[in-house]
Amino acid sequence: MNMREDLKKYSDFLQKIRRYFNDQNVLEVQTPLLLNNPTTDVYIDSISITVNQAINAKSTKYLHISPELEMKKLLVSGSGDIYQICEVFRDNEQGSQNFNEFTMLEYYRLGFDIHQLMGDMVKLLKTLGVEYRVSKLSYAQAFFEYCDIDILNTDFSALKIIAKIHDLSTDFEWIEDLQILLFTHLIEPKLKNLPLCFIYDYPAMQSALAIVEGKVSHRFELYMNGVEIANGYDELQEASAYRRCFVSEIDKRSTLGKTSVDLDEDLLLSLSGSLPQCSGVSIGIERLLSQIS
Amino acid sequence: MANYSTSQFKNGLKLMLDGNPCSIISNEIRKPGKGQASNKVKLRDLITGKTLEKTFKSGESVEGADVMELDMQYLYNDGSEWNFMDPDTFEQYVINDDAMDDVRGYLVEQDMCVVTLWNDNPISVTPPNHVILEVVDTDPGLKGDTAGTGGKPATMNTGVVVQVPLFISIGEKVKVDTRTNEYAGRS
Repeated sequence: MNMREDLKKYSDFLQKIRRYFNDQNVLEVQTPLLLNNPTTDVYIDSISITVNQAINAKSTKYLHISPELEMKKLLVSGSGDIYQICEVFRDNEQGSQNFNEFTMLEYYRLGFDIHQLMGDMVKLLKTLGVEYRVSKLSYAQAFFEYCDIDILNTDFSALKIIAKIHDLSTDFEWIEDLQILLFTHLIEPKLKNLPLCFIYDYPAMQSALAIVEGKVSHRFELYMNGVEIANGYDELQEASAYRRCFVSEIDKRSTLGKTSVDLDEDLLLSLSGSLPQCSGVSIGIERLLSQIS
Repeated sequence: MANYSTSQFKNGLKLMLDGNPCSIISNEIRKPGKGQASNKVKLRDLITGKTLEKTFKSGESVEGADVMELDMQYLYNDGSEWNFMDPDTFEQYVINDDAMDDVRGYLVEQDMCVVTLWNDNPISVTPPNHVILEVVDTDPGLKGDTAGTGGKPATMNTGVVVQVPLFISIGEKVKVDTRTNEYAGRS
């Protein structure tokens, strides 16, 4: 295929996405890529850049790792349903599926819980020509079915014993990192046979920015043939909840000896009006394309 | 022996796992959108020959295995032991018969082989890709059959049995591919 046809195919693909959201009355937005603060995420590093050096007004800016927080500012201010397609940037990425720059589709639907959002994603994928069999498994179900582990009721020391049996490292600071390793080792290989599989209700310790209810957080991921494609939340609403998450992440970064990050008070102030109840998801566009073409 | 961190993993790196030296066949980094990265690694156990699949936490370090691969000349077999020599140092190494199961039939005196040493002890031998062996037993050949269709089993001077074309007869020397145990032409 020649270059023009490749470009046309990609352009058509993006247009289908835009048409879908337009039909649903979801508004396309653009948020800044260049931010004043790096991410607090424990295992993601922002790429920093120095600007205005030649005019003696040197300062450090950071490329966004995701449009999530900037879009949440819009949600707080009353934007309603919104989506964005943009490049995101991450430092210290390695692996055949990870890059310093990739394209992300992020969208938020007001009043949706994660199950409604998963349903909406299936409709979106259908308009993109993806009509594979859909599987839905809770995180706990996946562990029960594939390896007979009661993941929500197994404490850190018991989980270490299980890790030892599977010949995995037991040297972890936090239970969630061990849960993730077990998921990678024991569950992901089983998902390879499923063309479209949603895993939902992650353990509370892996909530990220999702609402927690009891032992689970209302968070989901989409796997296509075992490849992680999307990550969605029933979003936290109160600025105080965001503050708790950011502080905890900053602490963890310092425990691991990673570059220190300051709490972004401006951001927290912008979120202080609190988010409307909504669910949002980010989708890796290149990964999605790799699974459908 | 030094320890290796997952960031130093690459194909061919030798590590100690469960007390045995292993060699990395493939190393895939898995980084979830949320959470810590891990390395999914396939390894070959150099003692048992088995393939293992392991997942390491990113940053974890693993003891390296003192494994070396040396070109050595096969000298002779005295019935229970196989004798090799490093042509640079003239140092001789002895390998027990039970480590020679898969390769016994391809060792020809004076041939250069790759000998794998673990803590200076030989643990395995890789013969050359092609060796010249002599047919010591096979059914009589069919005159005029040069097309090489079909074939028949032939026992070589080293004991290994190889499928050869019908026209090959006892006493002939043939070239054998040691990786596939296939006839690769007349010598």
